[in-house]
Amino acid sequence: MIRIAEGRALTELESEVASLIVEAVNLEDVPADTIDPEAPLFREGLGLDSIDALEIALAVSTTYGFELRSDDANNHKIFASLRSLSAHIAAHRVK
Amino acid sequence: MSLGLQLSVRRCGLIAPGLADWPAAVPVLLGRAPYQPAELAKPVSERVPPRERRRHTFTIALALAAAHQVLADPAEGAELPAVFACSGGDTDVIDRICQALTLPERPVSPQQFLNSVHNAPAGYWSIADQNQATTQSLSAYDASFAAGLLEAGAQIAAGAPEVLLVAYDVPAPAPIWPFRPLHAPCAVALLLGAAGLPGLGELRVALTRDLPETRLTDPELERLRAGNPAARGLPILAALAQGRPAVLALPYLAPAMLRLEVAPA
Repeated sequence: MIRIAEGRALTELESEVASLIVEAVNLEDVPADTIDPEAPLFREGLGLDSIDALEIALAVSTTYGFELRSDDANNHKIFASLRSLSAHIAAHRVK
Repeated sequence: MSLGLQLSVRRCGLIAPGLADWPAAVPVLLGRAPYQPAELAKPVSERVPPRERRRHTFTIALALAAAHQVLADPAEGAELPAVFACSGGDTDVIDRICQALTLPERPVSPQQFLNSVHNAPAGYWSIADQNQATTQSLSAYDASFAAGLLEAGAQIAAGAPEVLLVAYDVPAPAPIWPFRPLHAPCAVALLLGAAGLPGLGELRVALTRDLPETRLTDPELERLRAGNPAARGLPILAALAQGRPAVLALPYLAPAMLRLEVAPA
């Protein structure tokens, strides 16, 4: 299934991860399918912060069965956008 | 025992089932309108941006909304010391954390962990109103309201011109409720000031052992008062609404009671 967000298509996994983020950090006013997959998740993008990063990491590990570590040197790349996070999940998921 | 403590009650805030705020509560406290408790939806404080509000549990939202009822302008909260009094804390958060600890990976939510501390509502209020002053968060079981009032009064006696008091408690979810069966959620906020400041009336505060606890005449309001530590402050609001001088006794640390002489403005 393909969804369009601000002219950008979401893959099925990106759409699923978008919903996971919205639920994990209670973004009640943000429909998951309006998240721009390439926009920054933190600060100027969705306005999320470090507590949200921990919350998203917990939701990802519970849902996809692998751990996102807080001391991973690549975290700024992994968490840069919905697209980068979804790509990381696709590469490491065990469920 | 006289404490020589005299305070002005500048404004009142109140949230409970069927009592949306102080103006809505006055006719009920006067006995001119029936008390009709209805399920209380999660309060929304419009002054808090949605991005911040999403972090609030019911308990936090309740405390903040009551605080904001007595602070007409966000700037009023910027330099205002505050006392937050709550017997049980955020039992919904405690329940969720306990449930998470039973699961294999113990997936405790970082957000819930942050919200589990007793001063979480005070912290969110400080952020919302950009408050730089001191906040106290205390708990004293059924004496929580009286302990909060005494703490706020002590700060005024020590020189603070005004202190915000917010008392709030929420019934716990099912696993915890039987151990502390609160009747209904309730928050009472008082903007207190030094004696002589204009407001709804004045309180003269003393300690006693010789007075029975003041009860409310309406049976449903009395159930609310007796069933929630924050609602132990309702007799003060009733006396202020009725505009009659009154002597009240609120439960403090047994056998002590707080003796309050209320002189409505």
